[in-house]
Amino acid sequence: MILLQSHSRFLLQTLLNRIQNLEKCIELDHHWVEFDDVRYHVQVSMKNPHILLLSLSLPTPPLETVFVGGLPFGAIEAIKAAYGVIVQILDPPRDGFNLTLKLNLSKLPQDEDQRHTLLVKIASVREVVLGAPLRVILKHLASRTVAPDIDQFVALVHRPNESFFLVPQAEKVTVVFPMRFKDSIDTVLATSFLQEFMESRRTAGLSNAPPCLWSKTPPLELKGVTDDELSANAGFVTFVILPRHVEGRKLDRTVWNLSTFHAYVNYHVKCSEGFMHSRMRRRVESLIQALNCAKPDQEKTKKTPQTRSFKRLKQGFLRAGNRMLE
Amino acid sequence: MASTLRLYLTCIRNTLEAAMCLQNFPCQEVERHNKPEVELKTSPELLLNPVLICRNEAEKCLIETSINSLRISLKVKQADELENILAKKFLRFLSMRAEAFQVLRRKPVQGYDISFLITNYHCEELQKQKLIDFIVQFMEDIDKEISELKMSVSTRGRLVATEFLKQF
Repeated sequence: MILLQSHSRFLLQTLLNRIQNLEKCIELDHHWVEFDDVRYHVQVSMKNPHILLLSLSLPTPPLETVFVGGLPFGAIEAIKAAYGVIVQILDPPRDGFNLTLKLNLSKLPQDEDQRHTLLVKIASVREVVLGAPLRVILKHLASRTVAPDIDQFVALVHRPNESFFLVPQAEKVTVVFPMRFKDSIDTVLATSFLQEFMESRRTAGLSNAPPCLWSKTPPLELKGVTDDELSANAGFVTFVILPRHVEGRKLDRTVWNLSTFHAYVNYHVKCSEGFMHSRMRRRVESLIQALNCAKPDQEKTKKTPQTRSFKRLKQGFLRAGNRMLE
Repeated sequence: MASTLRLYLTCIRNTLEAAMCLQNFPCQEVERHNKPEVELKTSPELLLNPVLICRNEAEKCLIETSINSLRISLKVKQADELENILAKKFLRFLSMRAEAFQVLRRKPVQGYDISFLITNYHCEELQKQKLIDFIVQFMEDIDKEISELKMSVSTRGRLVATEFLKQF
């Protein structure tokens, strides 16, 4: 798996299981956590087996992001537009969660394909909620306008207490990611990865991709953002999104890719560390073998029959000695 | 480039061959003790002159000899930050497994990346020629491993970036 999938696999599996045995009354109560501290909770009670409560908790927003009632702006509208009648938003949400949805599974469409598409969409609830503000801004870009009452730049949460920045304009939207990593090794690997983004953008096949820049210092677009929000140890990545990147069906993918960019880089940094470890382990083994070659008694130990006969000989001697003592 | 590496390794090999004539030698100060003199440096008459072999400023090898032990310290090439991290990670990985290597020192000598300590007991247990082969192979392998790791990181980075940008 190179790319991150937008639906939560476990949630999709749970929903599919539930639908297959809709008549069976079972109790379900699952908690789980996904990357970037997104937590899910699914509950089904014995009384109403066709009602499923899905709660979602988002990463803690930093100060500069705008949250309306615990959700990013535009999230409620996005949920209503995406799911229609089968979902009802409960207010207030469950304790400790940002959003609780009440799914009415009996209202799902009968057609197999349609139903599956809708379930995948429900399993991607994270994309719908967290990506909502980004989607609003990119939709305006597609029609080449700037949303009214919007600031010069917008901060959107993508990790606990961390945000990325958008500079919306009529012809383009500049997206800036301050890249932070906890570990010094992660930082170095990520830096080399990010430089590859710049390099590979220049290759012929990718001339349609958004222009991509990496720099150590914050780009000029972010003048006026406080230093505290701009402390990044792996530099800044800037994507310039043009209207052609958000046309029609491309919009969904662009929203998902941008909102999980950090997770994507981080995932591959960890993968390459894992790969390095298994490589090093193999190398250690081969070196130990090389050292073992230096042991002179290696060939002798192979001739086990000799040693066994020596042992037998020794035991024989001992037995004879004991007999003599008796 | 390859030829300078060969010269460097040949020089180390020859120096090791000359230096590796160790004998059992009990401690002069404490009765019934037998310690590697190169580590303790208790009496100057038991130490020989250390030899420093340099390929360039970044890569060097220090061979310190005493009557009953020999210490080899290596400094590995680290051209940039990524190589530095990879070398550190790999050598730490090896040092943590020093138990399995017998001749590996748990901590490198100050200013170097990795050290070996060979005592007269090792020389008795292991064949001298093969032991030298091992040290030289070790040096070759480390260089090779680090450059391969670096290559794999950049290949992966390129692939990751291309796949991401293809999405748009």
